[in-house]
Amino acid sequence: MTQLPDGRYVDDAPFDADAGLTAPERADLDAPSAVLIWRKFRKHKLGLISGAFLVLCYLLLPVAGFFAPYTPNDRHPDHQFKPPENIRLFHDGSFVGPFIYPVEEVLDTETFTYKYVPDTSNPLPLKFLCLGDQWHFFGLVPSNRHLFCSPTADPIFLWGSDQLGRDVFSRILYGAQLSLTVGLIGIAVSFTLGISLGAMAGYFGGRLDWIIQRVIEILRSLPELPLWLALSAAVPSNWGPVAVFFIISIILGILDWPGMARAVRAKFLSLREEEFVRAAEMMGAAPNRVIRKHLLPNFSSHLIASATLSIPSMILGETALSFLGLGLRAPAVSWGVMLNDAQNLASIEIYPWLAIPMIPIIVIVLAFNFFGDGLRDSLDPYES
Amino acid sequence: MSNPFRQTRRVATAALLFALSAGTAMAQIAMKPVPYWADDVAAGKLPPVDQRIPEHPLVVDMAQKGRTTGAQGGTLHTMVTRDKDIRQMVVYGYARLVGYDEQYNLVPDILESVENIDDTVITLHLRPGHKWSNGDPFTSEDFRYWWEDVANNEELSPSGPPDFLIVNDKLPAVTFPDETTVVFEWDAPNPDFLQTLALASPPFIYRPAKFLKQYHAKYAEDGSLQSAIVNAKASSWAALHNKLDNMYKFDNPELPTLQPWVNADTGNKIRHRFVRNPYYHRIDSTGQQLPYIDAVEMEIVAGGLVAAKSYAGEVDLQGRGLDFADIPVLKKGEKENGTFKVLLWPTGVASQLAIYPNLNVDDPVWREVLRKADVRRALSLGIDRPGLNKALFFNLAVPGAMTVLPESPMFQEKFRESYAVRDVEKANALLDAAGLDKKGADGIRLLPDGRPMEIVIETAGERQEEENALQIITDNWKDIGVKLVMRPLDRDILRNRVYAGTSMASTWYGWDNGLPQPFTSPSYLAPMQQDFQAWPKWGQYYQTGGTAGEAPDMPEAIRLMELADAWEKATSDEERFQIWTEMLAIHADQLYGIGTVNEAPQPIVVSNRLRNVPERGMWAWDPGAHFGVHRMDEFYFADGE
Repeated sequence: MTQLPDGRYVDDAPFDADAGLTAPERADLDAPSAVLIWRKFRKHKLGLISGAFLVLCYLLLPVAGFFAPYTPNDRHPDHQFKPPENIRLFHDGSFVGPFIYPVEEVLDTETFTYKYVPDTSNPLPLKFLCLGDQWHFFGLVPSNRHLFCSPTADPIFLWGSDQLGRDVFSRILYGAQLSLTVGLIGIAVSFTLGISLGAMAGYFGGRLDWIIQRVIEILRSLPELPLWLALSAAVPSNWGPVAVFFIISIILGILDWPGMARAVRAKFLSLREEEFVRAAEMMGAAPNRVIRKHLLPNFSSHLIASATLSIPSMILGETALSFLGLGLRAPAVSWGVMLNDAQNLASIEIYPWLAIPMIPIIVIVLAFNFFGDGLRDSLDPYES
Repeated sequence: MSNPFRQTRRVATAALLFALSAGTAMAQIAMKPVPYWADDVAAGKLPPVDQRIPEHPLVVDMAQKGRTTGAQGGTLHTMVTRDKDIRQMVVYGYARLVGYDEQYNLVPDILESVENIDDTVITLHLRPGHKWSNGDPFTSEDFRYWWEDVANNEELSPSGPPDFLIVNDKLPAVTFPDETTVVFEWDAPNPDFLQTLALASPPFIYRPAKFLKQYHAKYAEDGSLQSAIVNAKASSWAALHNKLDNMYKFDNPELPTLQPWVNADTGNKIRHRFVRNPYYHRIDSTGQQLPYIDAVEMEIVAGGLVAAKSYAGEVDLQGRGLDFADIPVLKKGEKENGTFKVLLWPTGVASQLAIYPNLNVDDPVWREVLRKADVRRALSLGIDRPGLNKALFFNLAVPGAMTVLPESPMFQEKFRESYAVRDVEKANALLDAAGLDKKGADGIRLLPDGRPMEIVIETAGERQEEENALQIITDNWKDIGVKLVMRPLDRDILRNRVYAGTSMASTWYGWDNGLPQPFTSPSYLAPMQQDFQAWPKWGQYYQTGGTAGEAPDMPEAIRLMELADAWEKATSDEERFQIWTEMLAIHADQLYGIGTVNEAPQPIVVSNRLRNVPERGMWAWDPGAHFGVHRMDEFYFADGE
C-alpha cells in the first residue's frame, strides 16, 4: 500500500481483470450449509443466548443431584414452611464468605405460622463439595458429593421449604429432570407419527390420504382436556412414577401429531410434482428412497424449527396435567406437581415461595421460543 | 378447665321425663313489635306479634345462658359450596321437636313438653296457638296428616314409615287425643326415638297439612290438582307432592316451616335469601321475638373460594368449607382486616383422617391379608402420629387410634392408645408372624402369591391434608416393608369403588359422631352401614335385608352385630353403657379403621359485629348440627344492622 503525496492510498498489487467479482460470495455459496446456518444464527443474539442456556440446562439434568443439597422427598419435620434462606457474605462488617445463621423454629400461636429466629451471633460458613444424601449420576452411578451443604444439622433451603419440610430448590432441580424431558419424548413420538403418516398421505395420495385425513380430523375434533383425563385415568395406579411419566409423554405426543402430519402432507403434495422427484422415480427409486433422500431434506429446516417451537407446549401440557392432579403424581416430582401443591390461598398469601416453580417454567418456555425463532430465521441460509 | 360437654345421664325409667321444662311457663311478657314486619302489620297483612307467637312461647333467658340480650335486625352473610346446601338453613336453624342444648341434654323445643314412659309410650305436647310460617295453625292434625296420609300412603312412601319407628318389625300405635297431643306407643322400648328427632338431619314426623292437602289426591279437588300436576310437569300427584314437600331440602319457598328463617326465594340462584319466620316460637325474656337477625344471605361459591372470601372479610359467620389448613391465612386476614375474629372450635369427628382397609375387597389374596387383625395392627403401629400431628396440625391435634373423644362418657385412654404408638420392631414382628416374612429386592414384603405388598390407598382427593398425611405414612411404612401407593379420586368414584370391593383401602374422616352418649345408637360401630369403608358389603347386606352384599363372616364383626342388637333391646343406661364399652373395645382391638389424630380445631370466622357466638363451642354434625346447638337465632349484630 502506498501513500501518494496528496494523502490518498493506492493498492500496489496489479489490477487483475479476470478475478471474479463474486469471489467473496462464491466462498459463501460453496460453504457447507451448517456453517451458513451458524453464521446467520450467531447474529440472532436472543436465540443464541437462549440456545446456550437450554444446552446448559439439559447438560445439568443428569447431575442435578450434585447441585441439589437434598433428594426431592427428603422431609425435615422441624423446618416446615421455612422461607428462602438468606445467604450472607459479611458478618460484623468483615468478609466471611457465604454463610448462614442457625435458626430456631418457633410456632407463632397468634398467626399459626412458623417463625424462624436466627442466632445472629454465630455465622456458619457453607460447606462446599461436601458429602450428603446419595444421588445417582445419570441415574446409575451412586454419589454422595454435593456442591454445597448446610454447615450444621439444620438444613439449608435456598428457596424455602414446603409443608413437609422438603427443599423447594432441590425439588425444582429434580423436577426439571421430568419436566424438561417430557417435551423431548413427546416430540419424538409426535414427529415420528406426524412425519411418517403425513409423508405417506402426501406422497401416495388417494385412499390412504383420505383415511389419514379423516383420522386427523377425528383426533382434532376431540376436546383435549377430557381426552387427557380419560387417558391418564387409564394409567394403573400402582405403576411407578417413571412409567406414568413415560406414558404421559407418549399421550402428549399421540395427541400432538396431526398438526405436523398436515404440514408434511401439504409440503409433499407440492414437492412430489417437482422435476427432481420425477427424475428419481424414473431412475427407479423406491418411494421410501424418494421420500427420505429427496423430499424430506427439502424442508428439514422447517421440521427442526417447528420441533423446537413444540417442545414448550409439551412442557406446558405436562404442567397443566399435573397441576390438575392428572399427570404425574407424588412421589414423582415435576414442576406441575409442585405447583399443584401450591394452589391454595395460603401459598399465595403466606408462603409465596411455594410458587417459585413458575419461574423456571416461564424461563424455559421463553428460551425455547426464542431459540426456535432464531433457528427458523437462520435455517434457510440462501434467503436473505 | 371443667368439661363443657359433659352430659347428665338420662334416667330412662323415669316416668315423666322433661315435663314442663323451664322457660315455657309464662306468656305474660309484654311483646315488642318486630321492626322488620312493622309495615306488614300496619298494612294488616300480618297480625301483631303477640298474636303470632304461641300461647306459651319458649322464653330464652339470655342472662341465665351467659349471653346478652340483643337487638333485632341485620342481614347475616354466609357461604355454602353447593346449590343443595341451602338445606344447611334447616341444620343451622335447628328448630326440632326436641333438641340438644349446649350441654347436650335433650330438651323440648317446638314441643312444649314430652312425657316418656319407659321409652315405650311417648306423648308429645304441642304449644297451643303455635303457627306455621304462613300463619296456619300447627296442631296434632299435622302429625296425623304425616302419619296417615304421607308415611302410610303407599304412593307417597313406597317403603313405608321410616325405620326408626319400627321396633321388632312392628309399627307404633299413633293416636291424637286432642289438638295439642300426639302419642306414640310401642310394644317394646324404642330408645332411639327422641334422639332421632334431634338429629341435624331429622325425620320430620309432621307436615303442614293445610298446605299439602291441596296436592294430596285424598283431599284435593280433582280439577285443581290436575292442573297443578300439569303446571309442574310432574308425572303423578305423588311425584308433585313429594317434590313440594321437602322439609329438609328447604328448596320450596311455598312450603310453610317452623324454622327461624324462611326461604324467601328471590329467583337468584347464587345468593339465597332467608328471612325471619314471623310466627317463630322462641322469644327472649325482654319480649323480643327471635331470631334476632332479620335475614340470612347464603351465597353459593366454589369450594376453594370459601377461605379466600372469608379472608377478605366477606362473611359474617362461616365454619363450613373452612379447614384446619386455612387457619394461618384466616389469622392473617383477621389481623389485616380487623373486621372478623377466627375462633378455633374443637371438632366432634372421631379422627381427622382414618385409613380403612377394605375387608370386602375383591382380590382374594389381599382380602386374606387385610382380614388378619395383626396386619392392621402392624400398619397402625407403623404410623408416626406425633410427626404427623407436628407436620400437619401444629401439634394442636391429639394423636391416637380411632375411638370416641374424651367428652364422651365411654372414653377410655387405653382405647385411644391401642396400637397407636409407633413401634417398628413390633410391627415387623407382627407382619412376619402373619406370613408376610418374605421380602423383595427393594425391601418390600411379598404377599403369599409373590406380589409385592403395595397397598393402594384411595382418597377423595379433596383435602391437601390427606395427601400430605399419606406422604408421611408412605415414609413410615417403608420401615415396615409396606409400600403405600396413594390414588386421589373423586368423592363419588371413591365411594363406588369401595362399595364394589374394587378398592383395597381408602381414607376418610373417622366416625362422624365422636361424642356418643350411652343412649346414642351404636349402629355405626356395627357392620350395619355401607358407608363405613371397612365393610361396605356387610353393611349393604344389612341395609338391603340380605338381598345384596355379603353376610359378616368374622367372629368379631358378628359379635358387634349382636351387641348392636342387644343395645336396641337394652332397658337401662347401665346396660347400654356396657354394650358401648364392649363395642369400642372390639374396635380398639381390631382396628377396622386406623385412626391418626383427632380433635384438630375447626376455624370459625365470626364478624366482630356478631354477638353471642360462643368463644369455644363444639363443631359437630351429630349431635350438634354445626351452629344448631349454639342457637344461631340468638346471635345478633351489635349495631342492629
